[in-house]
Amino acid sequence: GGGDDTSGEGSSEGSDSGSEASSDIEAQTWRFVTEEVKGQVQYEYAAEFAKRMKEKSDGKITIEPYEYGGLGSETDQVELLQNGGVEMAVMSPGFTGNMVKEGQIFALHFLFPDSVEKTQEILNTSEALNKDLVERYEEYSITPLSFWTEGATQWTSSSPLEKPSDFENFKMRTQTSPLIIKSYEAYGAEPTPMSWSELYTALDRGTVEGQENPIFFIGDASFNEVQDHMTISNHNNYVAMTTVNTEWYNGLPDNVKTLVDETVEEMQDWVYDEQKEQNEKWLEKIKNDEEHPTEVVELTEEQRAAFKELALPVRDFYKKEVSTVDGAILEKLQKEIEDVTAE
Amino acid sequence: MKILRAIDKFVLKLEEFILSYSILLIAVMVVGNVLSRAITGSSWTFSQEISRFAIVIATFMGISYAARKGRHISMSAFFDMAPYKVRKALAIFIPAFTALVMFVLAYYSSLYVLQVHERGTVTSSLQLPAIYITIFIPIGLFMGGLQYLRNMWVNIKEKDIYLGTDLKDYNQNENLEDQSFV
Amino acid sequence: MVALLMSIMVVLLLLNFPMMIPLIVGPLVVLWFFFPNLDPMLMMQQLQTGIESYVLLAVPLFILAADIMTTGKTSNRLLDFVGAFVGHLRGGYAITTAATCTLFGAISGSTQATVVAVGKPMRERLLKAGYKDSSAIALIVNSSDIALLIPPSIGMIMYALVSNTSVGDLFMAGILPGIIVFLAFSIFSILYAKKEDIPLADKVPWKERFRMTGKALLPLGFPVIVVGGIYAGIFSATEAAGISVLYAFILEVIIYRSIKLTQIPKVALSTGLVTSAVFVLVAAGQAFTWVISFARIPQTITEAVLGPDPSQTFVLIMVTVFFFVGCMFVDPIVVILVLTPIFYPVAVNAGIDPIHLGVIITFQVALGSATPPFGVDIFTASAVFEKSYLDVIRATPPYIIMLISIAILLIFVPDISLAYRYILP
Ligand code: NA
Ligand code: NA
Repeated sequence: GGGDDTSGEGSSEGSDSGSEASSDIEAQTWRFVTEEVKGQVQYEYAAEFAKRMKEKSDGKITIEPYEYGGLGSETDQVELLQNGGVEMAVMSPGFTGNMVKEGQIFALHFLFPDSVEKTQEILNTSEALNKDLVERYEEYSITPLSFWTEGATQWTSSSPLEKPSDFENFKMRTQTSPLIIKSYEAYGAEPTPMSWSELYTALDRGTVEGQENPIFFIGDASFNEVQDHMTISNHNNYVAMTTVNTEWYNGLPDNVKTLVDETVEEMQDWVYDEQKEQNEKWLEKIKNDEEHPTEVVELTEEQRAAFKELALPVRDFYKKEVSTVDGAILEKLQKEIEDVTAE
Repeated sequence: MKILRAIDKFVLKLEEFILSYSILLIAVMVVGNVLSRAITGSSWTFSQEISRFAIVIATFMGISYAARKGRHISMSAFFDMAPYKVRKALAIFIPAFTALVMFVLAYYSSLYVLQVHERGTVTSSLQLPAIYITIFIPIGLFMGGLQYLRNMWVNIKEKDIYLGTDLKDYNQNENLEDQSFV
Repeated sequence: MVALLMSIMVVLLLLNFPMMIPLIVGPLVVLWFFFPNLDPMLMMQQLQTGIESYVLLAVPLFILAADIMTTGKTSNRLLDFVGAFVGHLRGGYAITTAATCTLFGAISGSTQATVVAVGKPMRERLLKAGYKDSSAIALIVNSSDIALLIPPSIGMIMYALVSNTSVGDLFMAGILPGIIVFLAFSIFSILYAKKEDIPLADKVPWKERFRMTGKALLPLGFPVIVVGGIYAGIFSATEAAGISVLYAFILEVIIYRSIKLTQIPKVALSTGLVTSAVFVLVAAGQAFTWVISFARIPQTITEAVLGPDPSQTFVLIMVTVFFFVGCMFVDPIVVILVLTPIFYPVAVNAGIDPIHLGVIITFQVALGSATPPFGVDIFTASAVFEKSYLDVIRATPPYIIMLISIAILLIFVPDISLAYRYILP
């Protein structure tokens, strides 16, 4: 059950945070939108979150998780949260980049270490993110309560991608973010912005030759069926944020707020395990798929370094052209990352 | 009256110009992007954004033009079967209520425009303020509302039934040739 | 809430309001009454979101290409070409009509364009050949519906938009069902011509046939470019639509010189008018979908209609019924925009292939649009041919029987829609 592994901190009643604390909670329903569908990490996160909150509040707090779909684009969902139409959302900073410019920091390649575990540790502890970046978001009525990784992003392709020259004239599907486009131009690729709903067919027909995503998403969307190679490049992490509407959150009674904070914290370990399990499961599946064989290659440290060298100047572009605080958050984050990786 | 008629004519020409050239702009953007990719190997990153801009303008700025020409899609089966008096009453009530809805939508969408403006959202490729696109929604809806008021007025003033100020009901007027169907 | 929403929409619809009004007012009232905390301003944002999809840009482009060709000479060249080969057979003119509608359907995205471009010149030829007017019109209206199945298809683009499926795959999947409908109509035409004893036309000499083929060669390049280009991965559906425009332009303006360059803005104006009328509905449809998703209405409706854990066949039959009935009353685009978000999730959960579902839906939409009492194609034909409603529908029953039979076939044999996966490498 949800209460079993809680530390119980913040609850004056002791380890069993159940009935007494929740006795003065009003019955209420919150809406929790995600950018993914049932079975995928974000949605499962919201469903688990809902389950735990229900148990902790003795059924007083009902959270309805929403799959991606009818509520418009990812950007629309962001605005829905900002306007208080929904209380909670999982969002990718990539979809707020047109507003909170600093959020594009997560598009930079080879910023986080190649270990997903270390990356998660940084996301949990970084002051640059959990304080400075959160403040940027709060200007827009969005409060990120936590940052977590859905796994490292990998490349799939029709021809091997092991060194930067493999990207020469390579048609790479990207999202429309200028920083992502810059990142692939830095390798000499031809970034082709495209909606993911057209991506399967485009890969199949060769309109684009490659794409990037966490492994579970590659498998769930069957991109491996139409690609011959997968490069474990760990060039980036797909980072998501658990967010709440700022005014709504600040107006919550203390006991309810405590329940939320506590659950958010527990969920960090849960989602780390969830994405790990999903990514590992799909990696095995993709490797063992004999009908659609995919050659999986993991980059060596030297190979990664060759890409990283080309990716570094994009950080200057971020500092000069994207950041509104001259890259102060990036510089602080880089120091924090150095500290963690030096351990 | 002369001035009003001149304004009307100007608005008509302007609407025709916007509709026609936004469609051509989309064609140029999409074709240009394909050709550029085929010839030089690189896409026009601005192509999608400009096309979207054009389609929003064409859609919303086209509302009043389509209303004038009586070309908004509707389910006219019962209307067509109804006797003259009922049709006349509906021909006044429908545009009046439609105009009201358009004005309500124009109001809400201008609130949306204000919000976009306050947040300072920019488009992802050209980094232009998103409000440049959004602003055409309330303008189009408002113009549409005005045109529906005119559709109402022409039905009050004239004996014949009009589906739009430029289109009489074809139940009484067989001149269908100038309607192009697509 | 569902009852309130539905009654508002049905009343406004039947009163002959522009269709965007029921689509907007229904959800707006739902917001006011049931979700006072939700700012209607957010619904306005959906008006924009609804039409900003890149996939959707294929619609105005295919319409523009069709408009250029309807203004020019393309449809007559196709008619002459097909007629030269099959005109002399039993039912030859009828087969010519069906074949040309299929071919023109392969060029244009819409049924109405096909009715105008092929129907007008072909009706005269059919009458001269001894066909009854009502038979001629029924044939034209129903054959034009094949246009919705043969790529490019605006109906399929709309389905792809709402369901996030691939336009390219849907296009491939529609071809075989389209050809089956064409074959059924051809067989019927032969039988009909025998029964009515329609005189045979003279056989066209081979020399003339070669000439006609030569003249039709360029228009025949269209389907090759659209389908081939998408399949070969040279471009996306939207880009294929752009290339269609370029091709139509080169054909009619530069090669045939049937349209002057200065006429192009006027052609684009007609495209813009239709685009606006359609896209307003797409915008309103998105606002509608947004509100019902928020209120979880699709779940309520599908649970009520389908119960828990419905079988694939049952889901497909209900989809068939709802779309068919919907299209008898409402514009096909609106039906797709409104009903797809309701049924799509259940259907996919039941294990139905999204592409197969898309073909079924497109087929029902085509069928419903040509079916009395209120199919939109009937009104189009009534306006284009200046014939009364009854004259238009008099000879439709055999076609409707054929189409319903094929619909049942498609439901029970998904491989017909999905055959492209085996056939194409
Ligand atoms: Na593969
Ligand atoms: Na077609």
